[in-house]
Amino acid sequence: MRGSFFKILIIALIIAALGVLSIYSSTYQKEGTQWQDIYKRQLLWLAIGLAFYFFTSKLNYRKLWDANYLIYGTALFFLLLVFGLGVIRLGAQRWLKIAWFNFQPSEFAKLAIIIFLARYFSGKSADDVSLSSGKFGIFRGIILPLIFVAVPMLLIIEQPDLGSGLMLMLVFVGLLYLTNVRLKYIFILLFTLILPLPFFWHFLHDYQKQRLLVFLNPNVDPLGAGYTVIQSRIAIGSGTFFGRGWLHGSQSQLYFLPESHTDFIFATFSEQWGFLGSLFLVLLYYLIIRQGFIIAQRTQDAFGRLLAYGISLLLALQVFINIAMNMGLAPVVGLPLPLMSYGGSSVLVTFIALGILVNIDRTRNVF
Amino acid sequence: MERKNIISVIVILMFIALVLGLFNLEIIQGPKFRRLSDSNCIRLISQFGSRGNILDRNGQVIVDNTISYDVMILPQDLEDVNQVLALISRLIGVPAQELKKTFKNNFLSSSVPVTVAANIDLKSAILLGEHKIDQPAIIVVPKPLRHYPYGPLASHVIGYVNEIDRWRLTKLEDYGYKTKDIVGFGGVEEKYDYYLRQEEGGLSVEVNHRGKFTRVLGFEPPKNGKDVSLTLDLRIQKIAEEAMQGRKGSAILMDPYTGEILAMANFPNFNPSVFIGKRTRLIAGLFNDPDAPLVNRAVASSYPPASVFKIVLAAAGLELKKINTSTTFVCQGSTMVGARKYSCWETHGPQDIIQAIAHSCDVFFYKTGLLVGAQNIHDYALKLGLGHPAGFDLSGETSGFIPSPLWRKLNKFQNWYDGDTANLSIGQGDCLVSPLQAVILAAVFANRGYLVSPYIVKNVGGLDLSARRKKFSPVAFKKTTFDIVDSGLREVVSDDKGTANAMAALPVKVAGKTGTAQVPRGQTHAWFVGYFPYDKPKYAVCVFLEHGGPGHAAAVTAQQIIENMNKQGLI
Repeated sequence: MRGSFFKILIIALIIAALGVLSIYSSTYQKEGTQWQDIYKRQLLWLAIGLAFYFFTSKLNYRKLWDANYLIYGTALFFLLLVFGLGVIRLGAQRWLKIAWFNFQPSEFAKLAIIIFLARYFSGKSADDVSLSSGKFGIFRGIILPLIFVAVPMLLIIEQPDLGSGLMLMLVFVGLLYLTNVRLKYIFILLFTLILPLPFFWHFLHDYQKQRLLVFLNPNVDPLGAGYTVIQSRIAIGSGTFFGRGWLHGSQSQLYFLPESHTDFIFATFSEQWGFLGSLFLVLLYYLIIRQGFIIAQRTQDAFGRLLAYGISLLLALQVFINIAMNMGLAPVVGLPLPLMSYGGSSVLVTFIALGILVNIDRTRNVF
Repeated sequence: MERKNIISVIVILMFIALVLGLFNLEIIQGPKFRRLSDSNCIRLISQFGSRGNILDRNGQVIVDNTISYDVMILPQDLEDVNQVLALISRLIGVPAQELKKTFKNNFLSSSVPVTVAANIDLKSAILLGEHKIDQPAIIVVPKPLRHYPYGPLASHVIGYVNEIDRWRLTKLEDYGYKTKDIVGFGGVEEKYDYYLRQEEGGLSVEVNHRGKFTRVLGFEPPKNGKDVSLTLDLRIQKIAEEAMQGRKGSAILMDPYTGEILAMANFPNFNPSVFIGKRTRLIAGLFNDPDAPLVNRAVASSYPPASVFKIVLAAAGLELKKINTSTTFVCQGSTMVGARKYSCWETHGPQDIIQAIAHSCDVFFYKTGLLVGAQNIHDYALKLGLGHPAGFDLSGETSGFIPSPLWRKLNKFQNWYDGDTANLSIGQGDCLVSPLQAVILAAVFANRGYLVSPYIVKNVGGLDLSARRKKFSPVAFKKTTFDIVDSGLREVVSDDKGTANAMAALPVKVAGKTGTAQVPRGQTHAWFVGYFPYDKPKYAVCVFLEHGGPGHAAAVTAQQIIENMNKQGLI
């Protein structure tokens, strides 16, 4: 019980430490103190994140059940706020400027939606204390939760942040699959989602279309949209087995690689630490996610179990999509690598999520 | 399977996919990406070494290098191209329009300096350097450049340098030659280019994504090319070229024992520096000139040897015992060969072999030739170094040509007649000999016994090449043959009626043979081959004047050369 707290803490801290090293390596040569000090800010965020980790791991997760609608509503509120007042950076309106930091509500919305879904599908029927989700028809099983997911998702996609939005959809489908909702309904959902995809093409922003085209063939536009993927692949590939060594990566340290401290931090890391280091990092992520799944599997409480699954799935998908996109195996979307990428919101949300996981493990025996 | 297990399997598969992707990128394709990464961020800034000098046998410089300056502009530091080009144009006096054209043609990328004007002089370079502060884009780079202190002197031996051409590039790519390399063309510059050429050194620097310098990764000092020492003696070369007085033809002086070429003068010649200044009009003029100024006539061209060939006849007749010192033929101004009359250039009366050589009597040699036979004449000519290349160390050597009945039959399907033998006997007809072959022929009678392989490069970068030379092939003639021919050659000069009697007055005893080659059109070619001093030969000489008139003219030129050499105490 106490084991999972330390296991997760240690793995998360190793990953975060590697992240800080990579952030430092990619920014220490840049001009201006605000760049050179960026790793210090990350350290600060990590400290705050750790505090949240301790806090949420102590906070009974059942309280989230109660606060469910409040959390959901707050997330929605912030998303709407971003829509109106957000700071535009890198061509997207994703950030809210609060005091001295930029806050990214979509990161919190991801967690809020998972909590909401876990709550929604773990309701018990009054007659036999079994999960009511097994008896859900298509409306209660699919359509209603879809609406709840779709509202924040559309707001996120509209920012525009197609990556986070679609990832939410994937988490939704995954969670749905883990509830007792009938498979038939899930397939209906998948079909209705996939069939109109060609039609959605027209609603995509130009840059999103371009990114998808570039994903299919990065050499379409090597100095424009394809540039990042090409440079990122070169960075990762040039690491070969042992890597170039810390602070010796030419791709990331000479700024051939854009966003080398945020979305493309994996390429920065991999260039310097090589296949060996990357394997180690991927293994760490796997261990932390596996820990999440183990916690979910041994939790009896339906809400806790679904919540643990949702968090693990969210982490797994973010890690997978981000690394795959670094390697050019997935289209470029604005998804950070949890715990590694620079960014306060992502760090905070990840630590909060991990804290909730630990707390689920800690309190599961109470029921 | 339970749903949760399926999800776990999917997650595991996702991570396996990541590891496989990493394995593909970093292990399988790693080396490729490592190269791409390096080429992303490493730039080479070249520094030039200087090409090896070419020296004469005494270490005197024939060709060396001077420093010239190239004006380059770095596009990434450029604010206004036209303004900078206008400034450069004003300072170096080249129209801005032209500069703009070169800039456009040479532009590669914003981080690579572009050469806009090459080879400007020191004064302009300093003027431009003063504008470095307000125009940081201007870079003035010193570059060693070929310098020819004697202008066109020995130009055919030296050759010239120019930008590498397509044909040479495809052949030499494996040896590290690149486009736009400056390589040698013709002469020593081409043949010994591999040793002469400098190795470009330079800085390898790291640049960031904007192409801006970040740090120096390494420095490779440029290596200068190796010096090449020739066997030429600059003093003799100058004397020879002066004596030629710009007339078309060649003059060669060679050490008859070693085959070292001491002078090799060719006209018309060219000034190799026109290739340095890229003076297109002058260069085109050189290539289009019908007189072919770029051809090294001494080595690459062959001509009818005329009476010079009589030396071969004399030797062959004596060796084959067809004639001896007591053989006398009467010259009546002509003789009948078959049904045709073959005339002599004069009526000489009774002639023995020595007189015949001295007076260059055609009738004597017609008859000797008929006695010896065409095939034998051909064989002896080859023994004496004619009709095949001598293995000279400059390229483009001609093999000359000595006809024979067999060749005539095989290649032209024609019979060989006695008339042809008669023609061959006086070095006319299809017979062709290069001046270099003629001087080798003379050397055989100076050293009395072997055929030398002439050479012109003494050592390369201090390494003596003489050990690697071809062994001289012996010419196993009887001593009496040499004695008789040599005294004949001496009589040419010393006899009152000798064809080279003009040289009798020289304080140096000269032996030799003149030749006057009939040509289909224009004046005759003039030959003089010989050696001196007669008693103890130090030099073999050949003077050839293309359309230069009678052999006497060549003899007079040779006389001037010898006289001047004697004056300078070189004999």
